[in-house]
Amino acid sequence: MQQHAIYNGNGEKKVIDYRDLKPDEYGTKEGTKPLGYVVDRRRFDRYLATQAERAGVEIWLKTEASHFRTLDDGSCEISMRKFNEPVTVRAKVIVGADGVQSQVGKWAGIKTHIKLSELASCLQFVVDGVETHGLLEIVTGHEWAPGGYAWVFPKGHGYAEIGLGVTRTMCNDNAQSYLDHFIKHSFFKERFKNCRVIEIQGGGVPLAAPLKQQYADNVLLVGDAARHVNSITGGGIHTALSSGKIAGEFLAQLIASGKPATAENLQGYHDNWLKAMGNNMWKLYRVKRDIFDTADVVERDERLYKTMSDYFGPNSEYKKI
Amino acid sequence: MSTKEAVVFSIGWNACINCGACVAVCPKEAGFISDFDTIAVHEPCDIACMHCEAVCPVSTISHTMASALNGQMLEEHVGNHFD
Repeated sequence: MQQHAIYNGNGEKKVIDYRDLKPDEYGTKEGTKPLGYVVDRRRFDRYLATQAERAGVEIWLKTEASHFRTLDDGSCEISMRKFNEPVTVRAKVIVGADGVQSQVGKWAGIKTHIKLSELASCLQFVVDGVETHGLLEIVTGHEWAPGGYAWVFPKGHGYAEIGLGVTRTMCNDNAQSYLDHFIKHSFFKERFKNCRVIEIQGGGVPLAAPLKQQYADNVLLVGDAARHVNSITGGGIHTALSSGKIAGEFLAQLIASGKPATAENLQGYHDNWLKAMGNNMWKLYRVKRDIFDTADVVERDERLYKTMSDYFGPNSEYKKI
Repeated sequence: MSTKEAVVFSIGWNACINCGACVAVCPKEAGFISDFDTIAVHEPCDIACMHCEAVCPVSTISHTMASALNGQMLEEHVGNHFD
C-alpha cells in the first residue's frame, strides 16, 4: 500500500498518502500504478497454488513430512505421512518454506530458534463496521502495543483488520488483552464502538535477524522459516515471495549443472539473497533492535514513531523492502 | 517464568487459533509438536522455559508439573483435553 497514517501514542498523526504526493504516478486513473495490495491469504494462497500447479508442480495435500536423511549419492529421502499412510520421496534438495514454526531447519541442524524477545505475539480481528478511507493506519506507543504496533488496515468489501503485535518480554499481558484495551480505550474507541468481529487471526511474527545460515546439506530455507521478515513493519509476504524466487532460480541452475545439493553448493543462494534484499533486511533489524533496546519508554516511543513515519515517507531508503 | 522442573503442557483447544507461535519460540528439538501443530501435549518438556505460554496471543497454554502425573494420569490428563 502507498498510503499510510502513522500515529503516536497520543493520537497525533503523520499522513503519507501517495494519492496526494504523486497523483500522476499512483492511484486508479489510467496509466497509474496500483496503490498496493491487501491480500486475503486463503484466496491468495489458492491463486499461487493454481499458478504452480499449472506450471507443472505436483501438489500433495494432507501430507506432512517428519524427517529426512541424506543418501550416499548426495540426494535425500524424506519421510512423510500422506492421508495417514507412510510414504517416502527422494529429492535432490528440500526447500523449507514451512513458516515461522519451521521444523525443516531443525531437521538439518540449522540454528532456527527465535528468542521470546524477538517473536512478536500478534492478534487481529477482521471486522465489519469500521471505515478505513483506504489508509494503512499504524499506531505506535507503549500503552497500545509494547515492542510492536497496533494497526487498522482496509480489507476491502467494507471490512477492516484491527490488530496488534506485542513483544512479551516488554509487557505483562497477552496480545488479546492489549487488543481489547486498544479497541475499548484508545483514541479510536468511538470509531470502533460499533465494529462487529467476524474473524480472529493471530500468529508469531519474527522481528528477528535473518538466519545467519539458511542452508545445509540438501536443505535451504525461505520466507518466515529463514526469518525473511521486515523487522520494522513485520511484513513478510513480499519478502518470502522474493526469496522463493531467488531460491527457485538458483536451484534451477544448480540442478542443471548436475552438482549435488551440498551445503557448500547451496551457499550461492544465501549470497544471492543477501545481495538482492538480505543486507537491507539486516539493516532494518539493527534499526529495530536499536529502538527496542532504548530503556526510556518515552524516548523509545518517539524513536519508533519517527522511524515508522520516515520508513513510509517518499524519501525512505528502505522502500520496496 | 521457567520452573526448571519438567512440565506437561495443555492446550485449551477452544481458544487456540493454531498460529504456531508456541512452536516457533520453542527451543526443543524438531518434532516437539502436537497433531494440531501446537506445542507437544503428549510428553513432558524438560526445559520448562514457558516461552510458549508467554507468546501465546490468547494465553491458552497451561501446564502441570510432570512429577504430579504418573503414566496413567498423564494419559488421562492429555485425554481430557481432546474430549
